[in-house]
Amino acid sequence: MVIFIDYIAQGFKEAINLLISFDKEIYEIIFLSLFVSTSATIIASLIFIPLGIHLGIKDFRGKRVLSRILYTLMSTPSVVVGLLVAILLSRRGPFGYLDLMYTPKAMIIAQTLLVSPLILGLTYSLSKNRGKEIQKIGITLGASKLDIIILVTRELKIDLIVNIVTAFSRAISEVGAVMIVGGNIKNKTRVITTAISMMNSMGEYPMAIALGLVLLIISFGINSLIYSYSGED
Amino acid sequence: MKKFIALTLSLILALTLLVGCGQGNESQDLEEAEENVVEKEEESNETSGERIILATTTSTQDSGLLDYLLPVFEEKYGITVDVVAVGTGKALEMGRNGEADILLVHAKASEEEFVAEGHGLERRDVMYNDFVLVGPAEDSLALKENYPNNILGALAAISENQATFVSRGDDSGTHKKELSIWEEAGIEPAGDWYLEAGAGMGDVLKMADEMQGYTLTDRATYLNMRDVLELEIVVEGDENLFNQYGIIPVNPEKNDQINAEGAQKLFEWFLSDEAQNLIGEYGVEEFGQPLFTPNAK
Amino acid sequence: MEITISALKKYYGDKKILDIDGLSIEKGKITGLIGPNGSGKTTLLRIISGLDMDYAGTIKYDGSLLDEGIYKKMTLVTQKPYFFKRKVYENIEHPLKVRKVNKAVRKKKVEEIMYRFEIQDLRNKKGHLLSGGESQKVSLARALIFEPELLLLDEPTSNIDPVSIKIMEREILNFNRETKGTVLIVTHNIEQAERLCHKIIPLDGGKVVE
Repeated sequence: MVIFIDYIAQGFKEAINLLISFDKEIYEIIFLSLFVSTSATIIASLIFIPLGIHLGIKDFRGKRVLSRILYTLMSTPSVVVGLLVAILLSRRGPFGYLDLMYTPKAMIIAQTLLVSPLILGLTYSLSKNRGKEIQKIGITLGASKLDIIILVTRELKIDLIVNIVTAFSRAISEVGAVMIVGGNIKNKTRVITTAISMMNSMGEYPMAIALGLVLLIISFGINSLIYSYSGED
Repeated sequence: MKKFIALTLSLILALTLLVGCGQGNESQDLEEAEENVVEKEEESNETSGERIILATTTSTQDSGLLDYLLPVFEEKYGITVDVVAVGTGKALEMGRNGEADILLVHAKASEEEFVAEGHGLERRDVMYNDFVLVGPAEDSLALKENYPNNILGALAAISENQATFVSRGDDSGTHKKELSIWEEAGIEPAGDWYLEAGAGMGDVLKMADEMQGYTLTDRATYLNMRDVLELEIVVEGDENLFNQYGIIPVNPEKNDQINAEGAQKLFEWFLSDEAQNLIGEYGVEEFGQPLFTPNAK
Repeated sequence: MEITISALKKYYGDKKILDIDGLSIEKGKITGLIGPNGSGKTTLLRIISGLDMDYAGTIKYDGSLLDEGIYKKMTLVTQKPYFFKRKVYENIEHPLKVRKVNKAVRKKKVEEIMYRFEIQDLRNKKGHLLSGGESQKVSLARALIFEPELLLLDEPTSNIDPVSIKIMEREILNFNRETKGTVLIVTHNIEQAERLCHKIIPLDGGKVVE
């Protein structure tokens, strides 16, 4: 127990030391984490928010089946996504010629695939529940189909941002996919979660705790931003 | 108000994801280890109830050696051995914290230090395996031709030509071994060509395969994965590549939970002729060569 | 020049909601649809406005079938209107914006209609924060701003104060007189129907009462 408390105390101390000393390695790891997960979230959002809104307000056969498929995909384990992308991108895979395996690009692809069902599913259910009403008024006031998608996006802005952040949180906190397709290579593809996982297996708890704290600080910062933003509305 | 609730819930969800995953990563291995322990404990309750925790390196586990050896011991003594396979650094750490009863690791200097500091009772040689340098079949540097059993020369050629080399980079026994050989060769590996993976042996082999690079691997893991790799052995048999395993019972004064008696039995059994012979036979059937060479004195 | 409805049938599950054949609504006039709850009045408006396209039968507008071009010429004001989470001014301006009317004209029209509905002081209030009477006036103003050819009203004045009702009725009559716009109004208030309408069509059980 004493040893345990020692670890925690040392972890905190080291975390603060690393952060205030602008340790290059740790900042590179943090920056890459943010870069990969932000890129993936933006790509997935640009494609799947409009699609989710469209599907949500559209009446078509198989809507219920689609919901079920989406909810299943939303909870796909990240290692499964990582495995899929690794198979596709590996040298002997169909996209092996692109030479993307073990690069940040591969990590972005994997995380994009990971959060896309989440973005699509959350947007879809939001739009299904609340988009109809907006679509109706759009129709009665003479909006075109594109006008309606823009209208719904704007009206549901706050909820969509919350969804985007949820997706980002999933991306930045996952370890399975980036580990498999990135490989946790120092100075190249090492991100916060893979670094933590590695530090643990090396028995370096202080550094692992330091990075864990950084992850929490990032999440706290983003969520505070949203709070203040939604407060303005 | 509804929106506020929805927002709050979403945020809680988001936070939970972060927190959950963060903690998960940190304690994953330990939790897994504990889960295994619990499972086995239930099993063993039905038999004799006695168990010991063996902290060892991933290489002994991955090579299948322990799955082959330990059942013989368990049957003979009625003691269940719970294996926690981690890096050498972590295994020694577990010993220091009294979380394991006995260690089977391969980092001689650290092990001797471990015993000298009073964490372990004594250290004895058990067996050795060897490392090999593997690389792409094309072997454009012609290492196989020029340095078939000269690892120092091969590493010098790799660093001069800046050929991709994938390092474990995880503070494992294999990683330490690799670093000691670089040191022996008088080279400080650094640069774009030298990739520190921070991953297990299997992952690193796949990475080297994928990137057409070189890596240092234990023979057993390589032989196990040979079928799915396009890598070939380029350097082997150099004395620098031998890897000595030692066994150390943890000092029972650490805490009450340490099973010193059981650990002593396993310690003696590993050094016995029976176990030594079994070690020498392991792998011959499958690979045509033993994976470990017993050398207990 | 009229709206004709022939062989219109609408079901919810097995239940027949509407069964109307050979009904015509004269353009340029105010027509009232009256009837008890569940007589199909609201459903008929939803079908004409394009919100509900799941029906059998034909509805023609000036001799042609309903399509997006025609939907753009009409609008529907409901009992509980939805407002964008923006200012009243922007809510009223919206239909002109989607019709690409230039900004100066938009401003002039919005100011004028807010004056007529006596809602200038609401201009900066957020749409979703309006009270019942306010929201009905803003909703009607938003509908009239682009001078639709056909105005569909679904009980626009239920549960609101007499002053607001008076303003709304005045503006409905003005709209019809000034632009010759057609009005189809669902109401259960017979006096209101008599005050406003040129013609009253009673509905019951989804059918026109002869």
